[in-house]
Amino acid sequence: MNRLLVALAAASALSAPAVAAPVLGQPAPAFQAVDAAGKTRSLSEFKGKTVVLEWTNNGCPYVQKHYNSGNMQGLQTEATKDGVVWLTVISSAPGMQGYLTGPQAKQWKGEVKAASTDVLLDPKGTVGRAYEAKTTPHMYIVDKTGKLVYMGGIDDRPYSEPESLKGAKNYVTAALADVKAGRAVTQPATKPYGCSVKYGSAG
Amino acid sequence: MRFLMGVLSALILSSAAAAQPVNTGHLTAELVAASQGVAPGQTVTVALHQKIQKGWHTYWRNAGDSGEPTKITWTLPPGWSASDFTWPAPKRLPVGPLTNYGYEDEVLLPVTVTAPAGAAPGSTVTLKAVANFLVCADICVPEDANLSIRLPVTAGPAPADPLWGGKIAKTLADAPKPVGLAGAFEKQGEVVKLAITGPALKGADMAGAYFYPFAGTVIDHAKPQAIERGPDGLTLTLTPGYDFQSPKPPKDLGGVLEVGGKAYELTATPGPPPPGASGLGPPPVKVAAPAGAANLGLASAAAFALVGGLILNLMPCVFPVLAMKAASLAGHGGAQAEARRQGVAFGAGVLVTFLGLAALLIALRAGGSAVGWGFQLQDPPVVAGLALLMLAVALNLSGVFEVGTSLQGVGSDLAARGGLAGSFFTGVLAVVVAAPCTAPFMGPALGWALTQPPVAALVVFLALGVGFALPFVAVAFVPALIERLPRPGPWMDVFKKVLAFPMYGAVAWLVWVLTVQAGSDAVPRILSAAIVLALALWIAGAAQRQHAQGKPHLALAVTAGVLGAVALVGGALWPAYGAPPAQAMGEGFVALDEQAYTPEKLATLQAEGRPVLVNYTAAWCVSCQVNDRVALSTTAVSEALKRNNAVYLKADWTKRDAGIAAELARFGRAGVPLYLVYGAKGGEPVILPSILTQGAVVKALDAAGKAS
Repeated sequence: MNRLLVALAAASALSAPAVAAPVLGQPAPAFQAVDAAGKTRSLSEFKGKTVVLEWTNNGCPYVQKHYNSGNMQGLQTEATKDGVVWLTVISSAPGMQGYLTGPQAKQWKGEVKAASTDVLLDPKGTVGRAYEAKTTPHMYIVDKTGKLVYMGGIDDRPYSEPESLKGAKNYVTAALADVKAGRAVTQPATKPYGCSVKYGSAG
Repeated sequence: MRFLMGVLSALILSSAAAAQPVNTGHLTAELVAASQGVAPGQTVTVALHQKIQKGWHTYWRNAGDSGEPTKITWTLPPGWSASDFTWPAPKRLPVGPLTNYGYEDEVLLPVTVTAPAGAAPGSTVTLKAVANFLVCADICVPEDANLSIRLPVTAGPAPADPLWGGKIAKTLADAPKPVGLAGAFEKQGEVVKLAITGPALKGADMAGAYFYPFAGTVIDHAKPQAIERGPDGLTLTLTPGYDFQSPKPPKDLGGVLEVGGKAYELTATPGPPPPGASGLGPPPVKVAAPAGAANLGLASAAAFALVGGLILNLMPCVFPVLAMKAASLAGHGGAQAEARRQGVAFGAGVLVTFLGLAALLIALRAGGSAVGWGFQLQDPPVVAGLALLMLAVALNLSGVFEVGTSLQGVGSDLAARGGLAGSFFTGVLAVVVAAPCTAPFMGPALGWALTQPPVAALVVFLALGVGFALPFVAVAFVPALIERLPRPGPWMDVFKKVLAFPMYGAVAWLVWVLTVQAGSDAVPRILSAAIVLALALWIAGAAQRQHAQGKPHLALAVTAGVLGAVALVGGALWPAYGAPPAQAMGEGFVALDEQAYTPEKLATLQAEGRPVLVNYTAAWCVSCQVNDRVALSTTAVSEALKRNNAVYLKADWTKRDAGIAAELARFGRAGVPLYLVYGAKGGEPVILPSILTQGAVVKALDAAGKAS
């Protein structure tokens, strides 16, 4: 009987985190990932700060729309100025579009003058799968208490043409303003758009 | 030549509606019209035609997890207008863990263009548009094209375009349309149930039914949609998307239901599922399913059956019969012709019996009975009769009585003929006793056969019979093989008596089968019948000996006949066997924590997210018992079940059960064994091999227990 209980407990402990999809208002999935400098970072080290997660792939036309226009860098600058931690995550598997090694990621960050706090490398897709990141870009906001308060698109213009930025309603800006003001996020879940995250095939 | 003329005239005709295809890199786009012109105030269907490079795709109105729908922006002369696209039903395009909705190869996206009433007949209009595509393989490329089409304005209705008229008409005809389907959706715990009913769904083939939502955030596109059929429609189990987490959950669920090769548009409203949308279980799995339910061609099914037939010769209940028969061939010494006659008679017996059983089986199934191979052993009287028959064969091998030495004592001439009849009936007997030993190879072949038209089914059964008869007939026909057999001699008598014991074993096994079918009350009855039969046969033997010595034997023979009849009637036929007490089922050697299978229990467990191992078995199925002993009822499997929080369900087919037969048919099987492992995340189960190993079961359970 005891053995059975132990086995059941172990089974549920093992399966619980893997099954959990990200849920608004719940603690955001914890993770550890290596940054461009090779240092292991985790979500827990940013407790007490608002964290933005941005999935990226520098070969993706939708990502390029936001970087070539300076739109993404603008958002990053504004957010980090407010004390927000901005983590750019690359979940492309080796050999897939957008995969970067640490030095390459560092170089890319410099070239595009990204103002993000750090670039995290997730070549196995562990972080991406935990958040069920589907597209690049795909945006998440974690509040100071570690709860997930926003997930979805960067704005309401799911197109790749740079002109589509004009007049776009930026969901991340709006959500960060809500978080800063201590309000509930008005639009906490929107449709992410862009290229598919280039996960490796193996589980 | 005529062909060339046709092509030329088509080119000339189609130039009435002139357009220039544009290659944008990964696709070629052009505007095409359904008719050769348009009359003032009328409409014409113009379509955006995409010829997409192999391996690439473009997107539906809801692109799924990523991607972007094709866009078109028109520049039209004053007064002209164009509608939105009519979107043909998309395909699911899996990309790693994600799923997109879109089109591959070639697609037509039609729009309705309306001409102003004041358009001048005889003039030509140029319709211009910019089309934006997102074309993706594993990477995505945005491409665009400046397109135009020139159309004559005609006084009356213009004739159809010879090249595109038909294709566009077909696209419009096939495109999803509302057909009065009613939909209701409700979040139930972690899932959203979408119940759809309507006349269009009555009797539809619901296998592979799928709901494509118009909105991109209502469901998780990549998750499987479990299907439950109902008398008036179906219920799909969807995984909710972001919208169900938002403060304002969706007020409606619009989309396209693809079912039975058709696609319908519908809008579901919140509410509980109506009763007619469920209750009939999931649809049958297509034999072509990836599950390994062997989508065999006739040739390979026949080949499997042939091999299966060969293997049947080695089954414990068959081998003694055949070994004795082969030894008797050797007994004929050099009499080649006689051996051949015996071989032919035996082969004929086998084939006639197989075809007879197959015809009966096909006829029963055509009549709607839920029977499968091995069905002969699902009736207690048949099992009891077989037990007595086996006993008779065993007693014969033990030398209690002889066969072929007629009780009525006819001459040696007839005895030789009796030998041929004996060979024929040896063939019949062999098939009858072989049936429960459905060799692993035969499962897929027979399952396939029973889903085929009767002629193909008969071919497979015939192949099985040929395989079964082959070794013996080969021995009869190839003198070299007969010579290999040991010379007849006193050893034969010993050999024969040794072989009697496997047959006694078969009797014991059939008695056990009977107790599972009819409860322990059957034991005294069948054993009494067995003793009476043994007495009858012993008396018969005595009569034969009397006869051999020229003494009167009629009274003895009659006594033997009466006793034999009493044993058969009392043991097998009358009164009918009762049902077993409930707890008698599955008694005995069970080491695993098992639960009885019901479709409801399976559904509940799946909803709980627990992996499930289902064992379709029957007491009379030898390979099932072997698998159970060597692979299932083991500590390793028991631990794997616990480790993965899995449940072991046993579907016992020892007695006829329409529900289980239907489940077997879903997986293309006509008989047991069948082992299924359902994953914690739902979806179609993994089918384990019919020859089980402990490792395979453990591995499947561990895989099923994993989250993805």
